[in-house]
Amino acid sequence: MGVSIVPALRALKPAALTVATGLAGVLVGFWANAAFFPGTSPRQPIEFSHKIHATDNAIPCLYCHTQARRSTVAGVPSVRKCVDCHNIVAKDRPQIRKVMSYWANQQPIPWIKVHDLPDFVYFPHKRHVQAGVACQTCHGKVETMHRVKRVAPLKMGWCLDCHKAHAVEHGLDCWTCHK
Amino acid sequence: MAKLERRDFLKLVGAGSVGVGAGFMLAQSIKHPLEHLIPYPIPPEEFSPGVATWYNSVCSMCPAGCGISVRTREGRPKIIQGNPSHPVSQGRLCGLGQSGVHVLYNPDRLTTPLLRTGDRGAGAFVPTTWDEGLAKIAERLRTLRENDRGNRICFLSEGVRGHLAMVFERFMEQLGSQRLWHFDFAHPRTLYEANQRLFGEQHLPYYDLKNARYLLSFGADFLGHWLSPVHHSLGLAHSRQGRPGVRGKFVQIEPRMSLSGAAADEWIAARPGTEGLLALGLAHRIVSAGHYRGPDRDGWADKLSRYPAERVARETGVDADTIARLADSFAQTQPSLAIGGGAAGNHTNGVDILIAVNVLNYLAGNLGGAGGLVFNPPPAVDSPRRHASYRTMLDLAAEARAGQIEVLIVNKTNPVFALPAAAEFKEALARIPLIVSLSSFMDETTALADLVLPSHTYLESWGDDFPEPGVGFPVGAISQPVVSPLYDTRATGDIILGLSQRVGLGTALPWANMEECLKQGWREIHQRGSQNGDAESFETFWTSVLQAGVWGQDAHRAAPAVNIEPRVIDGIDVEAPRFSAASEEYSFILHPYLSTGLHDGRGANLPWMQELPDPLTSVVYGSWVELNPVTAQQLGVSEGDVVDVQSAHGRISAPVYIYPAIRPDVVAMPIGQGHDEYGRYAQRRGVNPIQILAPEMEPSTGALAWSATRVKLVPTGRRVKLVKTDGASRQLGRNIVRTIKAVSS
Amino acid sequence: MKRDDERGMHEKWREYRRPGYYEELDYAWTMTIDLDRCTGCEACVTACKAENNLPIVGEKAFAQGREIQWMRIERYWEGEYPNARLRFIPMLCQHCEAAPCETVCPVTATYHNQDGLNAQIYNRCIGTRSCAVYCPYEVRYFNYNNHHWDPPLDQQLNPDVTVREKGVMEKCTFCIQRIRQAKDLAKDDGRRRVRDGEVQPACVQACPAEALVFGDRKDPASRVSASMNDPRAYRVLDELNTRPSVIYLKKVTTDAG
Repeated sequence: MGVSIVPALRALKPAALTVATGLAGVLVGFWANAAFFPGTSPRQPIEFSHKIHATDNAIPCLYCHTQARRSTVAGVPSVRKCVDCHNIVAKDRPQIRKVMSYWANQQPIPWIKVHDLPDFVYFPHKRHVQAGVACQTCHGKVETMHRVKRVAPLKMGWCLDCHKAHAVEHGLDCWTCHK
Repeated sequence: MAKLERRDFLKLVGAGSVGVGAGFMLAQSIKHPLEHLIPYPIPPEEFSPGVATWYNSVCSMCPAGCGISVRTREGRPKIIQGNPSHPVSQGRLCGLGQSGVHVLYNPDRLTTPLLRTGDRGAGAFVPTTWDEGLAKIAERLRTLRENDRGNRICFLSEGVRGHLAMVFERFMEQLGSQRLWHFDFAHPRTLYEANQRLFGEQHLPYYDLKNARYLLSFGADFLGHWLSPVHHSLGLAHSRQGRPGVRGKFVQIEPRMSLSGAAADEWIAARPGTEGLLALGLAHRIVSAGHYRGPDRDGWADKLSRYPAERVARETGVDADTIARLADSFAQTQPSLAIGGGAAGNHTNGVDILIAVNVLNYLAGNLGGAGGLVFNPPPAVDSPRRHASYRTMLDLAAEARAGQIEVLIVNKTNPVFALPAAAEFKEALARIPLIVSLSSFMDETTALADLVLPSHTYLESWGDDFPEPGVGFPVGAISQPVVSPLYDTRATGDIILGLSQRVGLGTALPWANMEECLKQGWREIHQRGSQNGDAESFETFWTSVLQAGVWGQDAHRAAPAVNIEPRVIDGIDVEAPRFSAASEEYSFILHPYLSTGLHDGRGANLPWMQELPDPLTSVVYGSWVELNPVTAQQLGVSEGDVVDVQSAHGRISAPVYIYPAIRPDVVAMPIGQGHDEYGRYAQRRGVNPIQILAPEMEPSTGALAWSATRVKLVPTGRRVKLVKTDGASRQLGRNIVRTIKAVSS
Repeated sequence: MKRDDERGMHEKWREYRRPGYYEELDYAWTMTIDLDRCTGCEACVTACKAENNLPIVGEKAFAQGREIQWMRIERYWEGEYPNARLRFIPMLCQHCEAAPCETVCPVTATYHNQDGLNAQIYNRCIGTRSCAVYCPYEVRYFNYNNHHWDPPLDQQLNPDVTVREKGVMEKCTFCIQRIRQAKDLAKDDGRRRVRDGEVQPACVQACPAEALVFGDRKDPASRVSASMNDPRAYRVLDELNTRPSVIYLKKVTTDAG
């Protein structure tokens, strides 16, 4: 006499359905987060527009990000740098007032990093800028953005693609970027 | 298909919603965490983000006075290295010096002035302001000064040099007090005395290890901590491998192998306290074998005839052949050099021993020349002779007990830890109405203070230093702040200058802060050295000294013709060393030594130093007692067995470490652990052998004879695992460290 | 010929083992350690901790043998009292040309780079600890725990070096961050190569006895080349054919005299 497992499965069916619905929910939730809250374009404490500065007023990148040619970091401008111009320019705009209140309190502006690499990656701006890599290669057309959005994946494969394409000297040695 | 029940429907909706939520949170959790880019409100002028900036300064971790270069990033010191331009350290630095960053960033630093609230020593303090703190003490000082009772103020500082020492001098002078003392446990008081008596020299000479071909060291652990270990390491290494075709030879005489003993070509364990006798035995041989031909030869021969090899061999335990061999080599291998210190200088006959060692230098013609003992010119800013001996500290305690001291200011020295319990110093402190500590840490002495005015660390302060012993020519260096102060603390000098202003000490201390004081002092140095000492050239000079981190003058002293008077020769003798307690009951001589990492205990709050394996035993984080294997066998103990170490003055217990290179009648213990206070890394760890030392003194200097305590060992039956890094202590045929026999020259 | 990134691991290893391979490289970073100069003072040990963000592990971890010391001093006693002698030897990653650790890593987290260095990549390491088992010098250290620096001790951390996490292997890198920086500065100067003496690992820099010399042995004029030609030169555990890049100079002993 054969033993059928069909009745047992039938008994499990409602439970299986619930689990399946739950799992489907996980996928939906995961997708929803990734699609609607990508984190590539965070809201900054001040609605600074690169378009107004870099395109409309044609300020070069290195005017504010002064360290890019000389240091590992590009450097984010000091509050005083903002104030130097905005003492005169566009004084009445609400966003500029906000900058001025930071300045009045001698507080730094807590910008949120858009292009953030893990702590075990050492990316020197200096070598890339000196090698003639345009800022836009990694940062996208920032000069057209009101709010900065990360366009590059900034993943290792993406870095290596470029290193390979340009036959960077020792560009595939792990110790070039990881120390 | 079956109809969906209401209950099942709700289940599905529930599962779906929980799933969506979980999925959302999962996606959120694996996202790169939010990071900020924080700009400076005002861009710093001294550095760029991402680029290291170096500052030259002076190390204050021990009295050697090495020049340092501090690497900073974004205004924060990261690593301390030696300053390559500084003649003492020459770009090198010891572990303790490098741990200076752990002083700066120590989590147990005092961050604000504190006022005692509970009973003294109960540890209850409340934060106060600098204004209140300074006002409180200034008022007391003013009252005492105005009533001509200034001498009831006592200032006890760590050893300081340069302009800070000068500020302390003037401050106390203006208050009308003579009670200004520098206290360092390991200050080589007997060495100063020995040099003074034999050569009439105020300052320690420069020991030119670098050019010596034969070095005899009597007890001086010159590679570990004696005087200037970094400089000595450079010197010894050069004497061995820095000169083509010549390799300097080095013999160490000490009862327990120190770091220097391990480096020696020959290690001789003479009986403790007989090092001077051995030196005179060598001297006898040098004269009697005709190696010395000076005009006063007869006087010496006569004097030294009392030290024939047989007697010396009998009393020191070093056989007569060895004595003859060492003496012949020492006299014939020129230039040679004899140094003495460490345990050899810490016996009741310490000064005699060190004089006897210098006699060897005299007889072998090692004075003034390269590879010998080079007399130093006076430093550009001379430091006062203020080092307190043990006797001074006893007097101080007696005065405190008699109610003669009303205010005690303690600056970064820790006598409660670094004096034997027999001194009863802690008890004496209880009788002082106001104790003010300027320490950066809650050490054992600061814990008894009524008011704590915490100092900056040396990396945050202005200062200067003129190394002692010098390097044969005048050298100075400015200590500049390499970081903005981390906390609400002040530089020691600024605290004293601030007090002077509040007390109204007037024109003797006219400077607003130490930086001004230094500038004026260095202006004088500049004017002495140059014809056009005008303001503009001074600024250039100042900047260049700050940048280079060092200033020096090519002004070597002409080698003085040292003539030792017959009277002095006649007075040369070594008394037998005296040890506390009877040898029948207390059968071992305790040999306490400064720990390489923790020094005299000051390094115990530095995690790197706690984790630095002891160079000779590899033990970390604790105390231990070193026993000769034979001794251990007789006592029936092995590694990790806890023994009571009892002197007539106290008892401590620590685990045994079997040490192959120690005399069987000696037991050794490192100094440095055993703190009751001093922060999380130091507290409740190991024991402090200083506490059980007998109050024996070298009679002429009053220095504590800290190698003169007898102890007995009593196994407790307890056992602990000694935390150390070493595995097998022998090579077992693996041939890892290979050696080669020198071709004898 | 396949591009470098197209070749498999084993192909590369064969390449590394080919005699003369290292002579074709850019640099062959080498350290010599003069045991006749070394005093065992451990300044190098502290320098390494400071430069390379070595964790403060605590007494308990030491008791379990879980300390991390990229640079350590080994001690070997010889003889018995009164003729007992102590020999010191600084021990660090030997950067072997034929490194046993490299062949065993399942994820190639440790490999040989073009400068003849034995690299360890933390973000690649999965913590099998096989490399530590294969290393005859026992200079690889595993992070058994996450480490903590009591604030503000964390402000001392060197921003040029990764802070390692629990579960990864680590070891001496010859201060790769300093080598990289020296190369970087050479490029700024328009030079292709680093000059002798421009780069010194922290231990070499600190050594008060100048016992350690670091440099490029491909440069015959370098200090390290001169030093490794000393007749006292030897390699530890030479019989294993690991071909270390750390070369020791024998301790000199003398007759009584």
